[in-house]
Amino acid sequence: MNSTAAVVEPQAPPAHLKVTGIGKSFGGVEALRGVDFEVARGEVMALVGDNGAGKSTLMKVLAGAIAADQGRFQMEGKPVSVSTPLDATSLGIQIVYQDLALCENLDVSANLSLGAEPLKPGWTFLPRFLRPIDEMEMEVKAKAAIDRLQVRTLRSVRAKVGGLSGGQRQAIAIARAVGAESSVVLLDEPTAALGVAQTRQVLDVVKRLRDTGHAVVYISHNLRDIFEVADRICVLRHGMNVATWRTADTTPDEIVVAMTRGLDEGPDDAI
Amino acid sequence: MMPSDSTLSIGQRFGRLRETRFGAFVPVMLALIAIWIYFGIAEPAFLSPRNFYFLFMQSAVVGTLAVGITLVLLLGDIDLSAAATAGVCAAVLAVLIVMGVPGPLACLAAMATGIVLGSVQGWLVAYVGIPSFVVTLAGLLGFQGLMLKILGAQGAVNMRDPFVRSLTTVSLPPLLGWAVAILCIIVFAVIVLRRQSQRRQRGVEVDSALALWGQIGFFAGILLAVVMTLNSYKGVPLLVILLVGLTALLGWITTSTPFGRSLYAVGGNAESARRVGMNVNYIRIAAFGIVGLMAAIAGILGASRYASVSFNAFAGGPLLLEAIGAAVIGGTSLFGGRGSVWNAILGALVIGSLGNGLDLSGASAADKLMFSGAILLLAVAIDALSRAGSAQER
Repeated sequence: MNSTAAVVEPQAPPAHLKVTGIGKSFGGVEALRGVDFEVARGEVMALVGDNGAGKSTLMKVLAGAIAADQGRFQMEGKPVSVSTPLDATSLGIQIVYQDLALCENLDVSANLSLGAEPLKPGWTFLPRFLRPIDEMEMEVKAKAAIDRLQVRTLRSVRAKVGGLSGGQRQAIAIARAVGAESSVVLLDEPTAALGVAQTRQVLDVVKRLRDTGHAVVYISHNLRDIFEVADRICVLRHGMNVATWRTADTTPDEIVVAMTRGLDEGPDDAI
Repeated sequence: MMPSDSTLSIGQRFGRLRETRFGAFVPVMLALIAIWIYFGIAEPAFLSPRNFYFLFMQSAVVGTLAVGITLVLLLGDIDLSAAATAGVCAAVLAVLIVMGVPGPLACLAAMATGIVLGSVQGWLVAYVGIPSFVVTLAGLLGFQGLMLKILGAQGAVNMRDPFVRSLTTVSLPPLLGWAVAILCIIVFAVIVLRRQSQRRQRGVEVDSALALWGQIGFFAGILLAVVMTLNSYKGVPLLVILLVGLTALLGWITTSTPFGRSLYAVGGNAESARRVGMNVNYIRIAAFGIVGLMAAIAGILGASRYASVSFNAFAGGPLLLEAIGAAVIGGTSLFGGRGSVWNAILGALVIGSLGNGLDLSGASAADKLMFSGAILLLAVAIDALSRAGSAQER
């Protein structure tokens, strides 16, 4: 095994979001032990690891859904603190959970603006939650968000989400995250439940996110997808960093070995 | 991708129809027309203006309750105590008036009572976490007791206050009725056409001209027919205008404001609503509060119409089940997230027409109960089937 590949390249792009020494325990279980992680703008950073490696915990720490016990956050080199989802959102960090959390009974535009509906001007004598929604502005915004991600199969932003395919739903969930002025988008297993054509559609959306200057963190079990979209691959194991590779410099076999056995092949490492 | 139009089965077409804006409206409308035609043939007196007048009056109390209950159904909750709440509010109204409080003031007190009773139940559901079924079942029992206590030993108080009575006895003069109808049609047409031109300006999808003028024509047709029918008896009752006005207000709130949108969002996916920062607990309490208010209004209207407040009219009678039935027949889903307050009015008319028609044809109480049960079952079955259908399309 060639461990020189594990060194983080000096030519890696400057990090947009960087965390160092993240630790998190749940009772007696140490889920994360001093993990370092970074992602740059215009980059897809894959986060891989076996079950229980700490991927999802790290993702939730980044999104503020879980507060880390130790560790530092940096955004564009400046220290920041993220301990609630609101902190993360205000820094432009958005997460798309695996379950998407869309309202199937509402249409696409309503889902995209949910919780932040544009209101018609005037009507100030009414409390904010009783002022009329500007449906047209909502549709214009929805259409812009969908067009930015080039979701071509979606016929109308007035279609109910309940009638859409899995890939279209994933794309809408991503569009909702992006629409909220975000710079970092965290995607949790976005292709897990999808067929070939649907996966293709979602991967295209992920590439569009990268091309529009977002920092994308991509969790997946599917190495074929990862090798297609990711620029760098960060491998976690037992809650610790194994290494980060540039996708171009590595192979799926090497990643699988790193996920399952780590870099040292000594027998003492097997559990 | 959705299948193209030519390959759809009838079932899929029906499912698709249910997804559109008028999806639930059209089937109920057809059911109502079918019922009217059937009774019209079986019992010609059914289609007389006089009978329609009474049909509207009879359906108004059920309709008011059903419109309120629709709001909690949208959340995926249920309110079994609405009729009992109406009873308590009517009792408060009656007792206050007997004590000499002026009618309008007593009405406000009754409405405040309704809001408090509803909000407290909403608080128990939202913060204590008791299922709404249980909270409102307790409310149903408790409020019935409370009503008896307020009414005193006789269990009934007469209602002679002219203000309260006028709510259900006054009708508009025919000319005024026509004027109101035409004004409504003009306002409706202006709103629809203005929206269309704005949509075109901003380059978002526009409805087809057929749908546009169809909407306006349909609305105008129904309104003119109703006014013509009612005018050939006593004129348009004030009660009908009150009910339509209230429903329009709640319809606007549920479909066009962030609060209304959050009702649908919580009913569709509460977790999603929570994640985008909606306060699900406040929304629950507000919805139950509004049901309480609508129940109070139903109580006032009931007291006015029967000219008395009695235990049997609210608690012992089938008022609650008819109201929930009306909402569900109107196409509001018991699973939450789907429905409309306008359809609750149609549902109330369906239930009212059945009762009225069966009465006219001399059906026994037993037949009426079984018939109503069958209709309710049919409505819920359609709801469940269309839900299963849309789930398969994924």
